[in-house]
Amino acid sequence: MKWIPNFNSSNSLRVIFVIAVFILLFLSSIAYKHNQDLNESSKLVMHTYEINIQLERLMSAIKDAETGQRGYIITRNGRFLAPYLYSRDKVNASFITLKKLTADNPIQQQNLENLFKLIIQRFVSFENCLKYSDPKTYDKRKLDNHMFGGRILMENIRFQVDKMNDIEKKYLENRQKIYDQEISLSPLFSVSLFLTALTFILLAYRQISRDFERLKVFNKRLLISSGLMAESEIIGKFSTWQWDLDANKIDYSDNQYRILGVAPNSFVPEKETFLDFVHPDDKEAVAVSMQGIIEKKNLPFIYYKIIRRDHEIRHFKSTGKLLTDQQGSKILLGINFDITDEHLLNIELQERNRELEKSNKELASFNHVASHDLQEPLRKIQTFISRVSDADKAVMSESAREYLSKIESSAKRMRVLIDDLLLFSRTNTTKKEFIKSNLNELLENAESDLTEIIHEKKAVITASKLPKLDVIPYQIEQLFINLIGNSLKYSQPDRIPEIIIESEKVLSASYPDLLEQSIKKYHKITFSDNGMGFDPQFKETIFVLFQRLHSKTDYPGTGIGLAICKKIVENHKGYILADSVPGKGSLFTVFLPD
Amino acid sequence: MKLFIKFDINTICSLYLKHNLDKQNINFTSLGFGEIEIADNLDADALETLKNNLSPCGFEIVENQKSVLVQKIKDAIIELVFMEDSNNYKSSVFLAEKLNHSYGYLSNVFSEVTYSSIENFIILQKIERAKQLIIINEMSLTEIAFLLNYSSVAHLSTQFKNTTGITPSAFQRIIKKRRENLK
Amino acid sequence: MQKNALYILLADDDEDDRLFFKDAFEEIKIQTNVDFVHDGMQLMDHLNNLDNKLPDILFLDLNMPKKTGKECLIEIKKTERLKNIIIAIYSTSSSEEDIEDTFIQGANIYIKKPSDFNTLKKIINEVVTVNWHYHTSGLNRDNFLLRLK
Repeated sequence: MKWIPNFNSSNSLRVIFVIAVFILLFLSSIAYKHNQDLNESSKLVMHTYEINIQLERLMSAIKDAETGQRGYIITRNGRFLAPYLYSRDKVNASFITLKKLTADNPIQQQNLENLFKLIIQRFVSFENCLKYSDPKTYDKRKLDNHMFGGRILMENIRFQVDKMNDIEKKYLENRQKIYDQEISLSPLFSVSLFLTALTFILLAYRQISRDFERLKVFNKRLLISSGLMAESEIIGKFSTWQWDLDANKIDYSDNQYRILGVAPNSFVPEKETFLDFVHPDDKEAVAVSMQGIIEKKNLPFIYYKIIRRDHEIRHFKSTGKLLTDQQGSKILLGINFDITDEHLLNIELQERNRELEKSNKELASFNHVASHDLQEPLRKIQTFISRVSDADKAVMSESAREYLSKIESSAKRMRVLIDDLLLFSRTNTTKKEFIKSNLNELLENAESDLTEIIHEKKAVITASKLPKLDVIPYQIEQLFINLIGNSLKYSQPDRIPEIIIESEKVLSASYPDLLEQSIKKYHKITFSDNGMGFDPQFKETIFVLFQRLHSKTDYPGTGIGLAICKKIVENHKGYILADSVPGKGSLFTVFLPD
Repeated sequence: MKLFIKFDINTICSLYLKHNLDKQNINFTSLGFGEIEIADNLDADALETLKNNLSPCGFEIVENQKSVLVQKIKDAIIELVFMEDSNNYKSSVFLAEKLNHSYGYLSNVFSEVTYSSIENFIILQKIERAKQLIIINEMSLTEIAFLLNYSSVAHLSTQFKNTTGITPSAFQRIIKKRRENLK
Repeated sequence: MQKNALYILLADDDEDDRLFFKDAFEEIKIQTNVDFVHDGMQLMDHLNNLDNKLPDILFLDLNMPKKTGKECLIEIKKTERLKNIIIAIYSTSSSEEDIEDTFIQGANIYIKKPSDFNTLKKIINEVVTVNWHYHTSGLNRDNFLLRLK
């Protein structure tokens, strides 16, 4: 379906999002790693710093011991010996701490070992100094030696401590250098990655807002068209429903509820709900055709009745179609039309038609019977008059003979009138059996019917080739008889009557005001004579029943002949026209459909 | 199924006649046109039997001399109408030569016995022939008109209508429907 | 009753018409015996009575009480014993439908009741003559169609 926009961008949006998410994940992992590194390095600094402190403590403890000893040696006051005595414990404690701190570094352990040896030597030297400074065991040379040895040991210890501090410092520096290298690289990388991710997200946002705009436009259109649809459903008295076969979900349009006589969405439609509304007579047929849509994918119109909840019966016409949508799920679409009004109108029309037909038939049969039954007494009158023989007439009075002849001529006139009326009514009532006929043959029959008057007037009738048409043969024969008879009747007394009959095929488009345009071709048959003609102002009224242009005494006639002609031509869905130049002749034109 | 059967009345009649005469062992020679010559004289009883045998089919032994002549005229007319080259003959001449009487005499005898004229009878026969040909439906009306020596189709149609009161096409239609009706 | 005379039967409910008919037959040259029945039922009874001689020509009015002429015609044509009777419809109607219909049902002659006695005589004379020709000249009765106005 055209109006559903194709959102291909959703795929690219997905790609963008996935990339962005990966970048962000990457970025956060980098940040995490940096954090870890930072932590590590601060731990490392702390470690170095601690070692440093412990070494200094060791150093100061030894120095304290040295200072105490010196003070004791000089003053011989025992109080000075206290730091010396504590320093041993302090040295031990620091040593244990250092041993722990350098557990992961064998070089430092080795160095610590050496340091410890030196410190022990130094304490041995302290003991010796104390021993040789004691006045009891004083030995100036040995004291000097030991004092000097202690001095060298101190320097060695200081050297060893510095060496260890240097190693830690160097190690720290190295680590710091690597860390700095990493740290200095990552910001640029992270920023660029961040920017990329940002770009992607912006792109995605742009796409989303664009799609959103499009969606808004389509939504608006959809809203308008569904509004129109709902409105037209109400006006057109139809409704739509869709049935998603896979999800087994049925949706009714609002008007579907309305035409079922309930408020929109007043119930949840299910497969069987609709059938509940269908009239019991039609239930089976509707169920069968619903099944039929699924099998045949198409439903021709079905006609049935439904019963609304308020028991009103409505007439429905429905059709349906099976659709498969883009996702491949099958959807049944249906339209229901409420044709009750048309149905009732149709019934009424049929009823009226029947009445009309009936009254028409009655009228025709009245006409037929009336003229038919009128004939009987008239015929008797005429026959009885004819039975009055010449001998009878001879004994009658002059006036009686005249009255008799007047009765005779009146009866004759009445006979003509009744005959013509019968003929007219018959052109309406007789069965209209169309038979393919050669019009030339029918013309010959007509001429043979008129033989007497043709001979009497010495008339010349010239006919060109006429077509073969589906006609009611004796009606066309009657048409020819009436038209030719008319020309013969109104001929000029001093001129031999000439009647020319011609035929040609014409397109109805050539006579747009006259002919039925849905029929493409007509046969135009013209009857022209050299008779007395008539005033052209009467060219329409001439075909009206009982319309006469001449007095009865001049030209006996009933005014029915041309009305019959018109009737016959109309029975053949044709047209008849008359025209004339008074004194020159008349022209009758008959159009018969091909 | 519908079959149109063409038959020759003359042949049927002579066969039927021969069949009946043979049945009574009567020795005869056919002179044609319903005239036969019997070798021996028949007694009254034999004549009565023959008469009775022939009557179911409308055969009649014509006794009156004038009636005999009229029958001969009729036969001659039928022969003329059914002849392929009837166009070459004028009926009055044909009848006079064939029957060895003046046309005036034949005409008088004919109307005296039948209350109608030879001309009318010829027309009747020609129209009868035309009817047969129309029913067989092998020829167009034009061909039939030519075969039966009419100057035009119109002439045939007019005479057909004057004689029967209906047009050739109506006749054809009626007979066709009548046959359908019989089924 | 003359032995060789043509036997004519007229079925017509109209007394005046029967009278005209009788008079007309009396005035023509051909010898005839004319009988009358007054309606369709009487006609069929008459024909179906084996004691009665079948008519040479049956004149049949269409518009009759009890049983119409058309019904009689159809019944006659269905009855084996009666179907060869020459039937002349004798009616006031000149509707083409009636004419064609009765011909199709098997009528041989269609006469529109004339309104002049001399015309009636002329018509009757023609019917009898043509019938006689059909009878005597081996003409095919199936093709015997005659319409007289």
